[in-house]
Amino acid sequence: MTQPFRLAQGGAVDRARPLAFTFDGARFEGYAGDTLASALLANGVHLVARSFKYHRPRGIYTAGAEEPNALVQLGMGARSEPNVRATTLELFDGLSAESQNRWPSLRFDAGALNDAFSPLMPAGFYYKTFMWPATPRGWLRYEHLIRRMAGMGRAASEPDPDAYEHQYAHCDVLVVGGGPAGIEAARFAAQAGRRVILCDEGPPSGRDIADVTLLSRTTAFGIYDDLMVGALERVTDHLASPPEREPRRRLWKIRAREVVLATGAIERGIAYAGNDRPGTMLAGAAKTYLERYAVRPGSRAVVFTNNDSAYAAAQALMSAGVDVAAVVDARPEGEAARRCGLRVIASSAIVNANGRLRVSSVDVAPLDGGRARCIDCDLVCVSGGFNPAVHLWSQARGTLRYDERLAAFLPDACPLPVRIVGAAAGELDAVRALWSVRSKGKRFVDLMNDVTADDVALAAREGYTAVEHLKRYTTLGMGPDQGKTSGVVGLALLAEARGVSIPDVGTTTFRPPYTPVTLGAVPGSEQGAHLAPTRRSAMHDWHAERGARFVTAGLWLRPHSYPRAGESEDDAANREARNVRANVGVVDVSTLGKIEIAGRDAAAFLNRIYVNTIDSLATGRCRYGVMLRDDGMVLDDGTVTRLGPSHYLLTTTTVNAVKVMQHIEYLLQVVWPELAVFATSVTEQWAAAAISGPRARDVVAALVDIDVSNAAFPFLAVASCRAASLPARLFRMSYSGELAYELHVRADRGRELWEAIVKAGEPFGLMPYGTEAMGTLRIEKGHIVVGPEADGRTTADDLGLGKLVSGAKWCVGKPLLARPALTEAGRWQLVGLTALDGAPMPRAAKLVADPARATPNPMLGHVTSWCYSPNLEKWIALALLADGRRRHGETLWAVSPLAGARVRVKVGPSCFIDPEGARLRG
Amino acid sequence: MADRLVVFEATIASAWNVQGEAPGLSSAPNAVSREGSVTAFWLGPRSWLVLGKSPGEATAAFDVSASRVAYTLSGSHAATVLNKHCPLDFHPSAFPPATCAQSLFGQVNALYYRHAAAEAITIFVARSFARDVAHHLDASAAQYGAEWAAPRPFVAD
Repeated sequence: MTQPFRLAQGGAVDRARPLAFTFDGARFEGYAGDTLASALLANGVHLVARSFKYHRPRGIYTAGAEEPNALVQLGMGARSEPNVRATTLELFDGLSAESQNRWPSLRFDAGALNDAFSPLMPAGFYYKTFMWPATPRGWLRYEHLIRRMAGMGRAASEPDPDAYEHQYAHCDVLVVGGGPAGIEAARFAAQAGRRVILCDEGPPSGRDIADVTLLSRTTAFGIYDDLMVGALERVTDHLASPPEREPRRRLWKIRAREVVLATGAIERGIAYAGNDRPGTMLAGAAKTYLERYAVRPGSRAVVFTNNDSAYAAAQALMSAGVDVAAVVDARPEGEAARRCGLRVIASSAIVNANGRLRVSSVDVAPLDGGRARCIDCDLVCVSGGFNPAVHLWSQARGTLRYDERLAAFLPDACPLPVRIVGAAAGELDAVRALWSVRSKGKRFVDLMNDVTADDVALAAREGYTAVEHLKRYTTLGMGPDQGKTSGVVGLALLAEARGVSIPDVGTTTFRPPYTPVTLGAVPGSEQGAHLAPTRRSAMHDWHAERGARFVTAGLWLRPHSYPRAGESEDDAANREARNVRANVGVVDVSTLGKIEIAGRDAAAFLNRIYVNTIDSLATGRCRYGVMLRDDGMVLDDGTVTRLGPSHYLLTTTTVNAVKVMQHIEYLLQVVWPELAVFATSVTEQWAAAAISGPRARDVVAALVDIDVSNAAFPFLAVASCRAASLPARLFRMSYSGELAYELHVRADRGRELWEAIVKAGEPFGLMPYGTEAMGTLRIEKGHIVVGPEADGRTTADDLGLGKLVSGAKWCVGKPLLARPALTEAGRWQLVGLTALDGAPMPRAAKLVADPARATPNPMLGHVTSWCYSPNLEKWIALALLADGRRRHGETLWAVSPLAGARVRVKVGPSCFIDPEGARLRG
Repeated sequence: MADRLVVFEATIASAWNVQGEAPGLSSAPNAVSREGSVTAFWLGPRSWLVLGKSPGEATAAFDVSASRVAYTLSGSHAATVLNKHCPLDFHPSAFPPATCAQSLFGQVNALYYRHAAAEAITIFVARSFARDVAHHLDASAAQYGAEWAAPRPFVAD
């Protein structure tokens, strides 16, 4: 017969919808509405886990998120998930779960040897035992072994196939907890016209509350600044086959004006020997299994309590046909005991529970030390009182006070608009404080981390008398359950050991998350290829269709090269670079930063931010310019174009576009608000292509409707025109050192322009080239790049651009250029290097005079950019070298100790090709 | 919530960043001025995004017609979908119809406009990010059975 412990009627399960599932390979049946735990109990399965440290047999202890024992490994392969609480896992058809932390099987676990050797493994044993050898490496080896012996489930090693997402929400009142107090609070707030969200960790009850947004299966796990509440929704976990488009979990970020906590209270246990035997559970959990799931959690029960709440559980057990052998009450006989009609053993306690894989009997003795008697049972229901769930309250900086009547910490005052209601506020039965019972054997406080009452006493003896030290030394409360059932018991025992009151011991800090949060939900949809956003130019698809390899430049994707079939990326880049110098090439330069400046004082402003003179620039002309930081170092380089009388276009390097815009906005808003200057970024407005090579003019002439002869359109000329019938701006500027032009069109027409260029260039041998060839061309030409050469420590003079700095005017950064350290001999200056002996230039090499010298070998400089030059057919580099300009002609060594490479190099000028500039002016 | 979630690209023919003194444009934060086919979004002190024709009287006007890509979401789930990536409160009491606000969409700067018809919201992002933003919109809207409609010109109604 299936489900022998299921009651014939009652409960919130749907008997018309049986669900098949497996646990450790065995097939079982449960009902819709079950959790895995209730379905296992319905089938009489109590042994579900092995404990963390001693591998002791463990059963289902609670009916909620506080479960310390019944953690299972759910699912297989990439979707396998460890440490799932069987008590909150909703059953679905085909669910497959395995027990954890056992080998070879749950019933016969080799790790249980740990239990036999437990005297050798008290709290903190690993700090004392694994002292030799006293090297970090020795400890690492032990740590590896300990990790394997202990630990819980195993994380999946495959990439997570599921989707996750974030969801922001706003409300006037957020109610946490969907019990009676929470529902009442939500209804009240909604009736007052407030925007209300109610979140509850359980499945939907099916009952709507008017004008309240209900979030079910959603656990509020943390309260952050300004009442931002983090909550995790389990969207598809309860479904056998989740809909493809739904995320598996949703991370809510709820901004609330007020929060109402109706989080309830969590029952706690009592530490007696063998209080961890399977078949032991909290009294409230037993009642939940009976009433909500219609499951008898045993046949013959002993109830052990120090408060009245357990009598309701005892009555429920009796009504369901469970033989209640006795109620063991730590208090003298009272009203509840007299009225219940059950056998009550007053002023007594369970001192020991017997049995191995399931509890078989308990020894009960009077608390004042009389003789023990043995009572047979297969179920022990314990209630040691309740702890209000004040986790979120404390995270919101709410204070706590200890209440003697309830033997619990209750919420006191909160500086934020957070209220707490119901059991969480302390609406609970009175308790006779009883934390542990004196007896031989392991009396567990923290079931999840196997911390016993003796461990707490040992910690106190060894001087770990502060509650935070106790926690770290014994690991009490440090498991995935965060000590929900054990924390207060542990600190009460510490108070006993120290002979002080519980409030004097205090509590540990309540930190988020309340329950574990799936890691995948933290990045949400921003993972994998979408970890950061990607910027694409208007020509991106063309590049991709032509097989371009892409590299990132900031957030941009740029073509590295366009390899042909069978061609390596390096060969492709060399072919592209050769073709620019031999024929003509086109490169996508849409990513360069572009800033438009307008206003009466535009020219004056630009004069202040560039080292060179800008106000002399004529309309229809452009100029290379360099900007400095306040400290005189080079900030960025680019071009300035005068589009109209008081209208300019600046270009910046790709990666510095935002920084330069911020620099300009800061100066205009803070330093010189009196200037009539306006600036806006137009990077996104324009798609841009640079056409370079000896045949560039032929290509451009075929495209545009203006005269581009050298006389009509000389070097550094700019004009508006139509290019392939698109409104365009044409610039004659060169980065490669060849005759070159740039065409800019509206970004949404960028691909049209590009295709027109490629078509017009066909007769002239035009090839597209990528950033790699562009880099080679600029190294050959000795052009600096912000980053490698302008590395934040170099002045314009260091980079060979000193002549640009106008002596006639002030500019940002100029005053500090006169500092002695920036003018004295020995500055590292830009030079060109040629590798001798045909050897490739090592990556990121430093420059030394003699590589054989003992370290530390004085460093004369370092290589900043290097490449194989297909046009010179040798390895060349740019470098920063001490007194570099005076060392032209010297031979040095470029060495890379990391790569174990060294190469003889000859120092020379930084420009390797056409130093007179005949090509670009021709 | 029976009405359908529809997403489409709202095309922009002409857009200007207007700065300085601009008669006729509201200086109130997040205000949107509408006159005929011209819509002006407040971006910051003395700065607006004007869709439609260039206002001649402004101190400075920069052509940014191709700088931004816009997507309009309509239907009762529009705000829910955007709130998967944007922390703004889209409730009409916090974000009234015919106003705008700047915030993030994921990690991307975005301008949001709530249409005069309250269930439609348009998001403007820089063109280079458009494909990324469309990907996230698509993935987030799919669970509500969203339908992508053909691009059509932006209208402020």
